[in-house]
Amino acid sequence: MATHEPIPQGTLDLLVLQTLRQQPGLHGFEIAQAIARRSGDVLRVEEGSLYPSLQRMMVQGWIRGKWGRTTENRRARYYTLTADGERQFARELDSYRRVTTAIAGILKPA
Amino acid sequence: MSLSTWWRRLWLFIHRDRARRELEDEMQLHRDLRARELERASVPSADAAVIAKRRFGHEPTHVAESQSSWGFHHSDEVTADVRYAIRRMRTRPWYAAAVMLMMGLGIGATTAMFSAIDSVMLRALPLGEPNRLVMLPSVEVPFASGPGQPVDQKPTLELPAIQGMPELFSSAASFAAGRLNLSDVQRPLRIRVGVVTDGFFHTLGVSAAVGRTFVHDDGIPGAPPVVILSDAFWRRQYGAKDILGQRILIDDRSHQVIGIMNPGFSFPEESDLWIPMSTPNTPVTFAAFGGYVPSRTVARLAPNVDLESANRRLLDRWQQALSSAEIPAIMREGMNRLLMQLKSRGAVRPLQASLAGTQPRALLALSGAAALLLVIAFANAAILLVSEALTRTREAAMRVALGASRGRILRQMLTESMVLSVGGAAIGIVMTPLLLGALRPMLPSDLAGIADPRLDWRVLSFASALGLAMGIVIGLWPAHSATRTDPADVLKSGAVSSGRRGSARGRRALITVELALTLVLLIGSGLMFRTLASLLNVEPGIQTANTAMLEIPFTSTTPRAARIARIGAILDRLRHSAGILSAAATSDFPLGGGGTALLLGPTPGGDAPPPPMRGARYTRVSPGYFETLGIRLRGEDFTISDDSIAPPRVIISEALARRWFPGVDPIGRQLMSAGGKTPFTVIGVAADVHTDGLDAEIEPQIYQSAFRAAPRSFALIARGNVHPGALLNALRDAVHAVDSTQAVDRARMMGRVVHDSIASRRANALLITAFAIVAVILAALGVYAVVAHSVMQRRKELGIRVALGATNGNLLMMTSREIVTVVMTAVSLGLFAAWFAGSLLKSLVYGVSVHDPATFIIGPAALALVAMTAAFVPLLRALRVNLREVIQSQ
Repeated sequence: MATHEPIPQGTLDLLVLQTLRQQPGLHGFEIAQAIARRSGDVLRVEEGSLYPSLQRMMVQGWIRGKWGRTTENRRARYYTLTADGERQFARELDSYRRVTTAIAGILKPA
Repeated sequence: MSLSTWWRRLWLFIHRDRARRELEDEMQLHRDLRARELERASVPSADAAVIAKRRFGHEPTHVAESQSSWGFHHSDEVTADVRYAIRRMRTRPWYAAAVMLMMGLGIGATTAMFSAIDSVMLRALPLGEPNRLVMLPSVEVPFASGPGQPVDQKPTLELPAIQGMPELFSSAASFAAGRLNLSDVQRPLRIRVGVVTDGFFHTLGVSAAVGRTFVHDDGIPGAPPVVILSDAFWRRQYGAKDILGQRILIDDRSHQVIGIMNPGFSFPEESDLWIPMSTPNTPVTFAAFGGYVPSRTVARLAPNVDLESANRRLLDRWQQALSSAEIPAIMREGMNRLLMQLKSRGAVRPLQASLAGTQPRALLALSGAAALLLVIAFANAAILLVSEALTRTREAAMRVALGASRGRILRQMLTESMVLSVGGAAIGIVMTPLLLGALRPMLPSDLAGIADPRLDWRVLSFASALGLAMGIVIGLWPAHSATRTDPADVLKSGAVSSGRRGSARGRRALITVELALTLVLLIGSGLMFRTLASLLNVEPGIQTANTAMLEIPFTSTTPRAARIARIGAILDRLRHSAGILSAAATSDFPLGGGGTALLLGPTPGGDAPPPPMRGARYTRVSPGYFETLGIRLRGEDFTISDDSIAPPRVIISEALARRWFPGVDPIGRQLMSAGGKTPFTVIGVAADVHTDGLDAEIEPQIYQSAFRAAPRSFALIARGNVHPGALLNALRDAVHAVDSTQAVDRARMMGRVVHDSIASRRANALLITAFAIVAVILAALGVYAVVAHSVMQRRKELGIRVALGATNGNLLMMTSREIVTVVMTAVSLGLFAAWFAGSLLKSLVYGVSVHDPATFIIGPAALALVAMTAAFVPLLRALRVNLREVIQSQ
């Protein structure tokens, strides 16, 4: 099993938005799975903290939740990205890039 | 934050339970799916659930964190904030009480005043289309000396003429108000009666709840007597039982009840019931009232006619009516004066404004005062709130340092000021009805019964919302600045408070404005008080000490001879009662208003044409009247033999003597009344007496013996050397010894009569003074708070100065300079404002200039004194503190 690194604060939103951009209509567990899988299991969400993030983004209007049924016929909320969410993703990605570039610049061996 | 976000938050707030359930469902699903996944990776199912739970983390934390994005949320937190706020208030009850009281006072005073104004001027009268209703001054009901007799021809416009102008008025009616006896209950009851022509209810657009209103046949002279009851009277007197068609005895005359009006209508003058006034009117209608009762005429404007054009066209008609040829020369002057009056004041006046009379001016001035008080109270509450919030910067910084979120602290401080505001609003709600009660004497009596003031919820909500908004702004501003500063700075500095320069300036500005407005109020109240004082100084012309009176309304069935005999018997008995020094009867008593007038002129003589006749107030008195009321009399008094067969003798007032007999002794000279045959001989001259009110001009008066022309109702007056209760009892006993069934009315001391005649002025002066006193107290508190705060902030600096050898005197000079500047600025501003505001009060003052020097000197001096005293308390206290200790402690 790979070592689990905690997700850097503030990046969780970015990851959720990116996941939903590529695969609209996932429920919470699927989003958590997708993030874990795509990060090669390096980044693993403390799974419950995904939900406050989802709630906040719903209130902000970045994502929309729609109740549906899983294949096993259990009620689940499926999330999709909104137009606002698309714009927010672009903004966050941009600022993330600037920060990482800056950090990389500092860390680059002289 | 976008609007849609707010909506989502609101939705989540309203449906917070459902949202929470859904969230928990979602989380449960997550853990179940995780456990399933683990089982698939061959973890034993018992372990799988545990691991799934651990990987998920602490659920309540996640739920709580989710909820925090739901906005205003968890009522729990709000409850906690409110509880904390109340707990804090309980630790400093005076601060909380002061803030709440200030807000409450401002809110209550403003609401009460506006409610009064609203009822008198703004709110539509509870009548059909009230803004189409107008009063027509000087339009009267035609008069005939009896049923079937020809109508008196008068050069004037009368009700039928108005009714014959459908192009101007769609309907019109006349009404009068008086008091009669209701005699079919155990004790004789005095009731208020509206005497109205048949179109009255139709014109006003009101209808009967039960039965009918008057129809044309009810208004024919000699028609069977009918009566309509007001809803309130029907409930009070008859317990709301079915009374329609039954007969009640009004003034010994049987009247059939034909209708009961809808609730809320009791016009004119809070009528208990209405009886018809016939057209033409005959003495029969007014027999019960003991003489003619002046009537007024109301009309409804025809559709498409506005006030302006109705007025213009009616004036033309007046002009025609008054310029008709047959007017005797003797009346010409009076007619011309009437026409002038109608032209200047309007022949058509809006009903509501006309009924409100001149009282709105006093009410408006008082509302101005209330508005000032509101500003002062709120400014003061603001000063207290700001000072308090600033001293809490440290607490806020500490909590931020300990990890409290800034939003949370903001919210909590906000809650505190909002709790205070809500408390203030509650006090305001309680205070409003009390203030409305105090205002009652200032409300126009003509509007009583249809426009009674009630608590205006719109104003109350507005004023309370204002208080709440202030609470929010003030709660936000310092809390915001407190949480924005770096907590470390605040904590390191060790300062008790961190009032910044800007906020200190703000508080100085607030207190300056507050003091200036207080001065305006103080000067206003000074002027009103001087007005009241000069009214009290007006000699009413009578001695009121140890003198009592009551009114005796005889019923219409009492013949004239019997009235004279009874009055004589009552006076006889009264004069022989123990402790009575003097007693008399009169048709009208001083300051009682009302009364009748007599057109008079000197007897024609010589070649010169007689000067036009002029009206004088006509009072009928018994012998001893002048002595009883202490009215100086030169010449003779009437005697018992001045009866209807004796040659007519009169006593005239000094004002009348000046008018007709300038520079000569009137005694022994003669006067003629209009239409009279025998001249009156003047036998005495009496000192002038105020008849209508202390602030009304003295009217020329003519007195005649009550035994000659016995009026229908008498006032019985007695002076004695016993205490008031015994005196009043002696009066009642004397009446009842002569006739045990005789109703008596309004027994009271003469001092009371004088007192009541200026009730409205008194209420005005007392209310504005109450406002001013409150304002002064508030200003003193405000000054105290500002100075105390500023001294607190300068403790360190002062300590250093003491260490460097500054004396107490130096320190006092230094620290007081600021407040002295504030007070001086405020006084100049206030004087300036009061000087201009004074002109608005011109119509409200009596016997004093609106720029009365004494008021303009004493007011500012008093305010400065109070302000400086309030300032010196904290200043001196600061000096008493050992300042060296302060320095060492830092």
